[in-house]
Amino acid sequence: MKYYKDHYDVIVIGGALAGLSSALMLAEKGKDVLVLERHNLPGGIATSFVRGGIEIEAALHEMMSIGEKGNRLKVGKFFDDMGVDIEWLKVPEAYHASLPGLEVTLHPGLETFSKEIDAVVPGTYRKVLDLLNLCSTVFDSVNELSIHPMSKAKMLLKHEAFVKTAGYTAKEVIDSFGLPKAAQDLLSPYWIYVGSGLSELPFTIYAVLMADYVGYGSFIPRKFSHEMSLKMAERAEEMGVQIEYRQHVEKILVKNGKAYGVRTANGDEIYADYVISSSYPNKVYTSMIEPASEVPSGAIKMVNGRRLSLTAFSVIMILDDTAERLGIKDYSVFRGDTMDTDVLYQNLAGLGPYRYLTCICHNLGNDTATPAGTCSYSITTLPRVDGWKTVKAEDYDRVKHEVAKQMIDDMSAYLGVNLLDHILEIVIETPMTVNRYTNAWNGCIYGYAHTMDDHIIARLQTAEAESFIKHLEFSGAHAISGDGMGPAVTNGRKAAKNVLDSMAREAVNQ
Amino acid sequence: MKIKGFLQDVTGASRVTKARLGAFEAASAVPEATDPIADVVAQWHPKKFGVTVTAVRDASPTAKTIRFVRTDKEKLPFFYAGQFVVLDFKIGESVISRPYSISSAPFEAREDNGFFEITVRRSKGDGFIADYMNDSLKVGDTLTAMMGCGQFYYEPLRDAKHVVALAGGAGITPFASMAKEIAHGTLGCDLTILYGSVSADDIILKDELDALQSDKVHVVHVLSGDAPDWQGERGFLSAELIKKYAAPDTTYFICGPQAMYLYLQKELQKLGAPKRRIRFEVFGQAKDITQFNGYPQELKDKTFNLTVRRGIHEDVIPAKATESLVVALERAGIRIETACRSGACGFCRTKVLSGSVYICPENDGRRAADKDFGYVHACAAYPTSDLTIKIPIA
Repeated sequence: MKYYKDHYDVIVIGGALAGLSSALMLAEKGKDVLVLERHNLPGGIATSFVRGGIEIEAALHEMMSIGEKGNRLKVGKFFDDMGVDIEWLKVPEAYHASLPGLEVTLHPGLETFSKEIDAVVPGTYRKVLDLLNLCSTVFDSVNELSIHPMSKAKMLLKHEAFVKTAGYTAKEVIDSFGLPKAAQDLLSPYWIYVGSGLSELPFTIYAVLMADYVGYGSFIPRKFSHEMSLKMAERAEEMGVQIEYRQHVEKILVKNGKAYGVRTANGDEIYADYVISSSYPNKVYTSMIEPASEVPSGAIKMVNGRRLSLTAFSVIMILDDTAERLGIKDYSVFRGDTMDTDVLYQNLAGLGPYRYLTCICHNLGNDTATPAGTCSYSITTLPRVDGWKTVKAEDYDRVKHEVAKQMIDDMSAYLGVNLLDHILEIVIETPMTVNRYTNAWNGCIYGYAHTMDDHIIARLQTAEAESFIKHLEFSGAHAISGDGMGPAVTNGRKAAKNVLDSMAREAVNQ
Repeated sequence: MKIKGFLQDVTGASRVTKARLGAFEAASAVPEATDPIADVVAQWHPKKFGVTVTAVRDASPTAKTIRFVRTDKEKLPFFYAGQFVVLDFKIGESVISRPYSISSAPFEAREDNGFFEITVRRSKGDGFIADYMNDSLKVGDTLTAMMGCGQFYYEPLRDAKHVVALAGGAGITPFASMAKEIAHGTLGCDLTILYGSVSADDIILKDELDALQSDKVHVVHVLSGDAPDWQGERGFLSAELIKKYAAPDTTYFICGPQAMYLYLQKELQKLGAPKRRIRFEVFGQAKDITQFNGYPQELKDKTFNLTVRRGIHEDVIPAKATESLVVALERAGIRIETACRSGACGFCRTKVLSGSVYICPENDGRRAADKDFGYVHACAAYPTSDLTIKIPIA
């Protein structure tokens, strides 16, 4: 039986946000695209599941770069342009920070945010706003330069702040503002998810994330992340993309340095001019390229020279009472006994107790999240893969329960309610869960860490030289923009653009 | 603006580019293909594997226990007591899957020469696979297995220390697994099994269960039929009976025939047990779909044309109104992967491209967005018109 066409323009491995973004953009340009997804539904981590009749969000699901209707940011605009019509709900706050001796809820808007910090750390309004404005300027430059590249001299003239902060860590630039520690603490949480403490994190990344998140707020789809993933997939199919679920790509076929197809676990060999891989370069270069002799040593040195970013450990609960009656007041709480991200980064190398937790009560951002009289509450930490790589299969269940119990106990103490007395459903998601459902390398959800020796500006500079196999592009958390659900979309678009550019170049050359 | 000094400020981009290339230059050129996280996953949730029957024994006058080992001699996966295994049978041209609660304990699977067991009762005419298992399966036969599946297991962070199992008929099997694991000291709850049967002859695994009685495991047989010599409990698993064995804080696990589920929902309500303390195993494929609320009775004798799309390939097959889409596909020899066959797990998630279906209300485990776009779980969807569906290539 013949399930596939003889040939496609592009095969996309992986039907999550990045792969589907690639597919949408290519289909819009009239390309013939096949998406092969290993799981039986789209979205990867951006998904949901049903337990005991209740649908539960699987991901830390706040989307950045969406923006209000009429004033969309790049990801929101991409969805609009592609006809992917998602019911976005604006998350009411930026975050509630809970530190020793300090409880404050911060809201989006640069001035609002600065005022709210000033209210608890008086005298900091001007400096905090200056820092946020600098972030905002860098953010605007990054957005513009990603569309209109320019010479270095011109860049220095037009994008001075971007150029002058590029070589510094977030810590170096924040320190230059001379803010008191308490204010710095309130500006530090969250960003550790990109895989570095502030003394290693490029300021460029900090600035972009801060400007986007604090400036414009975040959004969630009403019917969970699955609404977003499914609508992308449905729209892609409407535009002619063939999506096949339960198809695990085992090999990428390469000849004379150029990709020409894939082979699935079912044994189907499928051919295309281009392949876009959502599989990590580590996996692709060490076990997927066929023949292996087509892998240049530079590719191996590159993947060995990069540090994996973080993974996730989440305790997701459906509680048998409302948020109000349980005393849960905020959509998101970032709680730590320190906000020194370098200390926290060390802490994340182990197996707990984790010193920094992110808690989300979904119902406070989405009034239809769970059935009446219940609420959804998740506690998440973003550990490094290092600690979890040492866990043996026979200890896995015990370790995951110990870590989960500690996190529940910590938040029970904070809330003054024993959460253990209210659990209708509980799901513990671990790096192993991530690997099981997405096949992500080492269970890592965030690609490679943003660090000073793996800087996004450097990634852009050397991208062409790192295209080790022609007609093979990478699209996923591990691509240039890194991860988070917004950047995944950007990565997918970038991979599609590279394919389209290459097609155009080769058409001219012929 | 100035951060540290003009020259240092403006050369940042070249500095970080050099740093990155330097890091790659210093890195090893030896491929590093290990993924310890994936290795753990492979021991908990491996891909499907071959299994061989090594023993078949009677579990009652009407039921058999079948023991399997991995054909490739690898270790069996970890699983939780109470979970099920999905077995694939090749019958003629069709491959058909069925879920079975595992009646042996997790620790037995991980020992040297590890095995797992299922216990299957002869059907009363509605399960040709069950009859095949009882009559035809023999030592040396091989099947394909996927395990462990399902959510029906003790979760220490959620459940009370005291568990009361309410079992009916073949629904005893997950509790046999739990009881053995408790006796082995590797499951930290205590368990009282109230096991309802019609007559003493119907009791499955009686000797094995009775041998497990201890301060942590209690087995109470309850007979509902005429049994003049019976000394034990009688009647149904009523609220009154359950109350005798419940602790102030008890989690109830329920597994048995569909009629028992409907009965126990009411009885547990009478007891005032909170919702979080009640765990039902999945409902199973509806025995008679026409009995459910809202089923379009006027269609029940119809057979529709089912167009099945796999990739760019299309087939047209007949589909009876009273049989799920999965059954229609299996009858036609078209492979569809299934696991729970109760609409809960979503394994058989299928897109309905055109036409209409009736969804079994007890088995509607779909995501909200899936409902909006015509996705169904094919094991719980029944055709109510000619229709076109798309399923994964297998």
